[in-house]
Parts: sequence; structure tokens; C-alpha cells
Amino acid sequence: MDGPDEIIHQSTRLKIAATLNALHFSDSMEFSKLKQILGATDGNMATHLGALEKAGYIAVQKDFVGKKPRTRVALTRTGRKAFEKHVQYLKDLLEGGG
Amino acid sequence: MNVTRDEAAKALADIDKATDKVIELKGYHHGAPHFIVWGFVWIFANTITQFWQQYTAHAWISLLAVGMISSTVIGILQGRNAKPAASSMPPGTSRKMGMTSGIVFAFIFCMMWIAQPESDRQANAMISIIFPFLYMCGGIWAGWRLFAIGLFTAAAILFGFFYVKEWFDLWMAVFAGGSLLAGGLWLRSA
Repeated sequence: MDGPDEIIHQSTRLKIAATLNALHFSDSMEFSKLKQILGATDGNMATHLGALEKAGYIAVQKDFVGKKPRTRVALTRTGRKAFEKHVQYLKDLLEGGG
Repeated sequence: MNVTRDEAAKALADIDKATDKVIELKGYHHGAPHFIVWGFVWIFANTITQFWQQYTAHAWISLLAVGMISSTVIGILQGRNAKPAASSMPPGTSRKMGMTSGIVFAFIFCMMWIAQPESDRQANAMISIIFPFLYMCGGIWAGWRLFAIGLFTAAAILFGFFYVKEWFDLWMAVFAGGSLLAGGLWLRSA
């Protein structure tokens, strides 16, 4: 059994990955919506998104809608694989009695 | 890094919760345009019935046709744009939803055939009140917003039927149609 993914396992990052993983492959979510779903603060979100982006697990896209800046976040293929692997690890741990 | 069984169980529960939330939001966003379309149909059809009674039959038939065609097209486009994901709906869902709509319309037809409403007002209320109760049923599974739209609309229809006499059709346009339209916009903003 592979070990846990230390980047994804942290509670907020796990919730971010789980939320983005539930989107369609090519879909992304606005930063404000993600923050609202997770009930996290701007600072907290920025820290954890930064860690996930650094690991290559998420892609962050910034653009403008009219004059308003918009930040969109998506799980990358690497991130999706890492998340699925981590979920499998958690399931194996529960089933195997760890 | 060590992960205990309790931590693993909590993590999996958090994942399920996050996934459910996204599925709920997707449901809201898919439902929103249908609510908006049917809101407009109810507003226009009831307004015409109230002010231009001679056009009632033509208005309802053509607007119901517009609503059904629009809903079908929206459903097809939503199905086409959907790409597979870990939590996507199982194959055949769109077809089953279409069949469900057909069964609901068949049920309405049978109910009207059996009950033979004595007035247009009774027929309007009977048909209109079926949908909010379906929304409430759906809301139990899909999210509280849908339930709230259904509850408000059903209450408005009942109030209008029993207490609003002459302006019933306009009442239905504003409160039944309006609540669908407002509900659709509310779902879209979720």
C-alpha cells in the first residue's frame, strides 16, 4: 500500500481537492465560490491553494470579467491522480485495519 | 507521516461532504434555466388569460409547446456539455429524466380526465400545484433551495385559489410564474 499524500491530506487542502475533483475534467471553480463552499478565509485559502499549485496539483487562472478581476481554480491531471491515489490509500487503511 | 483509522474515516467523510455539495450546486445550475423558461411561460400564459380571455386556449397551447421545446433543447445542450468526471451522473440519466417528465405529463392528463375540473380556474390551480410539490420532493434529495421554491409556490397557488377571486390569473402570473422565475435566478446564483 502506498503512503498518504502529505500535501493533499491536510484538512483544508483535502476539501479543496475533493471539491475540484467533483467538477468535470475541464471545469474550474471561481475562488470566491470555493471559499464560500469551504467556509474558509481569504488568507487561509491563498496559503493552501499556493501549496497545491506549487505541487502542480491545481492550476490557477486569473482574468477579468468586465473590470472585475476573477480567479479560477482547477484540478490538474496530476492533482486528480494524486487525489484518487490518496482516497484509495484512506480506503485501504480503513479496510485493512491500518 | 502516520494516518490513523479515525483520521482516515474523517477525511473520507469530508470528501463525501465536499462532493455532495458540488453535486447539489450542479443540480441547481442545471435546474435554473428550466425554472426560468417555465416561469416566463406561466407569467405570459396567465397574463393573457387574465386580460385577453379570447386568446386563452391559443396562448396556453403555444406557450406550453415553447416551454417543452425549450426545456428539451436546454436538457440536450446540458447533456452534450457534460464531460465524464469522478462524480458525474450515471449514463442514461438524461433519457430517464425525459421519461420521468413524460410520465408526469401523462399523470396530469389522466388526473384532469378523471377529475373533470368545473372551471378554468380550477384546472389552472390543479395543474399548477403539481409542480411545486414535485420540486419539494426533489428538494429533499437535491437541496433545500428547490424545496423552498416548491413550498412558496404551492402556498401562493393555494392562497390565490381560495382568496383571490377576480384577479386569480394575474395572481398566478405574478406568484406562480414569478416564483419560478425568481427561483431560477436564485438557483443560478447558488
